[in-house]
Amino acid sequence: MGESLVSLKGMDVVSAKDFTRPLVEKVFEVSDEVLRSPEKFRDSLAGKRVALLFVEPSTRTYSSFHVAARRMGADVLPLVDPEMTSLAKGESLYDTLKMIEGYGVDCIVMRHPARGAAKYAADVVKVPVINAGSGSQEHPTQSLLDAYTIVRKRGSVDGLTIGFLGDLRFSRTVPSLVYTLALFEGVTMYFIAPSALQIRPEVELHLRKRGIRYSRVEKQSEISKAVAELDVLYVTRLQKERFPDPSEYERLRGSYRVDMEFLSNAKPTLGVMHPLPRVDELDPEVDATPHAWYFEQASYGLPVRMALYHLILGD
Amino acid sequence: MEEGLLVRKIDWGTVIDHIPAWRADRVMRLIDADQLVRDPEVSVIVLKNVPSRKYGRKDVIKLYHHFMSKTDAALVKLIFPTVTVNYIREWKVEKYSPELPEVIEGKVRCPELTCISNSKRDPVVRRFRVMKEDGYIQCYYCDAIVEFSSIPDLIAV
Repeated sequence: MGESLVSLKGMDVVSAKDFTRPLVEKVFEVSDEVLRSPEKFRDSLAGKRVALLFVEPSTRTYSSFHVAARRMGADVLPLVDPEMTSLAKGESLYDTLKMIEGYGVDCIVMRHPARGAAKYAADVVKVPVINAGSGSQEHPTQSLLDAYTIVRKRGSVDGLTIGFLGDLRFSRTVPSLVYTLALFEGVTMYFIAPSALQIRPEVELHLRKRGIRYSRVEKQSEISKAVAELDVLYVTRLQKERFPDPSEYERLRGSYRVDMEFLSNAKPTLGVMHPLPRVDELDPEVDATPHAWYFEQASYGLPVRMALYHLILGD
Repeated sequence: MEEGLLVRKIDWGTVIDHIPAWRADRVMRLIDADQLVRDPEVSVIVLKNVPSRKYGRKDVIKLYHHFMSKTDAALVKLIFPTVTVNYIREWKVEKYSPELPEVIEGKVRCPELTCISNSKRDPVVRRFRVMKEDGYIQCYYCDAIVEFSSIPDLIAV
């Protein structure tokens, strides 16, 4: 597809469902360029103002959006902590967004605990809204850097078999990544999770409607067989508070802990990914093996977000 | 046995006919029939499991001295496609065929408690996209899906 046909200028990034393959490839192409020649992007956002409204804790996402904007010459308006913003005093999100827009910002990057908050924000303000996490719904910029990692490591996503492990129901990164990977050809997905934490129905419906091959792996005894088929394993954390019965968590946690034994039947080329932070679901013994993609994955947070800023706001 | 033998004709109002047998309560919820008691002129007549030539058995709701909104008619039709709606004016029956809605606004609440549309602080207009061929409605904001048959459980009050 010709370059001119894909433009993200002024676009909201609310949901990975809105992505197209040419759009994603455009982001990857510019991310490559950022990695190759970062100096070219130094003044790309000169004179622009970017608001970072983070109504929920974040380290990696916040800092990469912040550093990316600063490196590109933008002014950053950080509204980082609910204690610091008037949302803590009971102000509506609507009023907060209108107030920020009134400062003359060119873009609002927002993390919010409510599902659908980014969609709402995009309707409320005229400037582009970038969703940096909307409750358990989505995290579309994370999915871009996740898919970018796969492309960097394997050349393409086409034809790969990708497994998602852990809490797929409450993870915001999983739906976005599933929507993004579904844009590629011949992809197969395995959702490895206990039934209570399986992939959400709307995500499954999205795959069914697009004829994407996927299966749910719910039995502990079937995990190892599924892992043997994978090219990529995307690990998320199982959290005790998500289980209706804590003893269920104790019984299952071992089966969802990725260590060398867990990977014993895996392909030698299997890449393990994790949105980080990890707790004990991913053993540090994996770090020294070629399976460990997660630190490299995290390192793409900055270039991919710089590429996004450039495409949305750059001249 | 015709329902005419059970309940007399009405001079004006609405007849919601061909509701699947024993499902009238779901329709009552959908149209928020409890609200109607505020109008002292209105009566609601519910017939359950009466004979139907077309379907064997059916339920019928008569809203005496009340015209059901076209939005509600469309919502009822979405969930119970067999339903027919008749508006009665001066004893005359006007058949009404509701258009299936593309979007449902205001009436249905999102099942996800953490959805922004359930926020008490923000005046978000609840909105669902109708996925006719899939049998679901999908929250415009948070993407949660609801089967048509579960919609009556989510009527916002």
